[in-house]
Amino acid sequence: MPDIDTIKTEAKRLLQEGVVEVVVAFKAGDTPLHPQPAFFSSPDEIDQLVFSGLCQNNLATFLTRLPKEKKVAMVVRGCENRSVNALIIEKQKSRDNLYLIGVPCEGIIDWRKIVEHVGETVLAVEENTHLVTVETPNGRFALERAILLHDSCSRCAHPNPMSADIRIGEARPEGDPSLARTTVEEFEALSSQERYAWFQKEAERCIRCYACREACPMCFCEECFVDHIEPRWTESGATPAGMQGWHIVRAFHQTGRCTSCGACERACPMDIKMTYLTEKLNHDMKKKYNFEAGLDVQTQPPFATVTLDDKNRFVVS
Amino acid sequence: MNLILEKQALPELLQSWRESFDVFLPQKLERFSHFMPLQDDTAVLVNEPHNTRIPPKALFLPMTETLVKFTRVGGYKDAENEVQPRVVFAIRPCDAQAVQLLDTSFLEEDYSDPLWREKREKTVTVGLGCHEPCLTGFCTTVGGGPFNKAGLDVLLTDIGGSYLVEVLTDKGTWLFTTLQPADDSAIETAHKIQQEAFDRMEVAFKTEHLKEKLEQNFDSAYWDSVSQSCLGCGVCTFLCPTCFCFDIVDETQRRERVRNWDSCMFRTYSLEASGHNPRPSRVERTRQRLSHKFVYWIDQVNQIGCTGCGRCVRYCPVGLDIRAMLRQAQTLPFEVSHAA
Repeated sequence: MPDIDTIKTEAKRLLQEGVVEVVVAFKAGDTPLHPQPAFFSSPDEIDQLVFSGLCQNNLATFLTRLPKEKKVAMVVRGCENRSVNALIIEKQKSRDNLYLIGVPCEGIIDWRKIVEHVGETVLAVEENTHLVTVETPNGRFALERAILLHDSCSRCAHPNPMSADIRIGEARPEGDPSLARTTVEEFEALSSQERYAWFQKEAERCIRCYACREACPMCFCEECFVDHIEPRWTESGATPAGMQGWHIVRAFHQTGRCTSCGACERACPMDIKMTYLTEKLNHDMKKKYNFEAGLDVQTQPPFATVTLDDKNRFVVS
Repeated sequence: MNLILEKQALPELLQSWRESFDVFLPQKLERFSHFMPLQDDTAVLVNEPHNTRIPPKALFLPMTETLVKFTRVGGYKDAENEVQPRVVFAIRPCDAQAVQLLDTSFLEEDYSDPLWREKREKTVTVGLGCHEPCLTGFCTTVGGGPFNKAGLDVLLTDIGGSYLVEVLTDKGTWLFTTLQPADDSAIETAHKIQQEAFDRMEVAFKTEHLKEKLEQNFDSAYWDSVSQSCLGCGVCTFLCPTCFCFDIVDETQRRERVRNWDSCMFRTYSLEASGHNPRPSRVERTRQRLSHKFVYWIDQVNQIGCTGCGRCVRYCPVGLDIRAMLRQAQTLPFEVSHAA
């Protein structure tokens, strides 16, 4: 686990020395399972800063909500660093206005999996690299961290922040990229009817709350296609057509942009699986263009790039 | 009227109601529970520790409901939304109280909503009290309780091997005609369980002068601080048993006019045709959500518009906790209002 005091000392220094105006990190929540994103603008507040496996949000989603010129420090894990990079490429923030406090990630713990194991009433949670100890009215439970990881995290290929200004904690071994591939291949191996049945079962549980959209750093459109009234692109209700339309188009808008963080799934109040769609698109981008979103701040996503030798001549002619 | 229902007799009793009713009860859907119709092979799971993920308001105000169907020749007809008589079984007191609160809006004398009214009239609510109240719930803080009877036709109390059945309205009588009256010791046991559950609930925040504090601090920086990490999604409002806002939309391809759940937390909710948005950011939207529940409901019907179910606390993707927001509101300055 990264040393919380070192993170705090660095955050405090950044505010004291005026390097940044705000530090985006987490603070303890009012319930033990839910730490909250927090915005610290004074060194005195830094005592509230926490970091744990239960910090489930991708903080980069707040980057486009803060004024562009604001000097921001952010505690970033591997996925958050990739999201920040992808946002820089899309000109949503200048790297000069950012200070990244990198924390190698041991994987986000899925609070729903804790609840599945011990019930909904949780009094306290402690964790280390291997074990998560949960206190409940029915006693203490020690659970293996590995079984509690969010699905996106258990197949994470890049747990380390790659372009942080400072790294706190030892770098983690890189993940096995074949794990994400396996998930995609399993889905692809199904017949088209089975794939559609799977898609229907997941998508049609949707209540159109758009928590997935709001949790996603890359969903920063001022006006989302589902909110557009004239013309209307999709049915707005919780109908099969509306729900399927939302899920498929949301995923497609992420092509070459999704950093596999899984924040969409973690935000979903209906436990809908949706990363199988974006992982498939990520897999295609890797296979066809050897591209992964957010690994650096130079490489443009293939779909944002036009070259004169593009075989689709319509682009330039 | 107090009756006794042996737990082992419950599945058969529920099945027997199907002759005359559609019976809805919480059933497992993925990793949570959801009100669904009872079938021949439904496993009866009434002891789920929490209420269903989607509140039972959805049984009365569906997420999407067709109001009118248009015909090709330019006419229209009312949608056929036929509702069978039904029993909603094992609804928790907070959710039942919420349905009753919503009646104040949907059944108002001059503007009664026919779709809501029909469903309400044809529904018998059989509540299951919470002998193990949840930590995220705060029903007692907002005037309810784990065995609150508001909005219920029948209240069940789990007393071990059986339930004490308190029939509260005429509507509920018919369902339990086969049961024996409860003896005094069963009633006493139930009352003890009810009291213990009530006493176990902590006061989550003080409600005294809360309305004045929220009202008088309309422009306070308080709203910035409590909305800062809000994502602006609709989880808290859609999962809220008392949120009832809807949007009416013409789905032209299907030639239908529908109403969909809407949320004051959405940007489009208050967006006007001119492009002006009187609630331009999450600050104003958060203020609206809290003020509606803790100021405007009180102005309109003299009741708090929150029943303390705790769903918004459990499922907020950024861990925002309405209880903490209101505790913070209690520290705001205010003047006692002398009006009436």
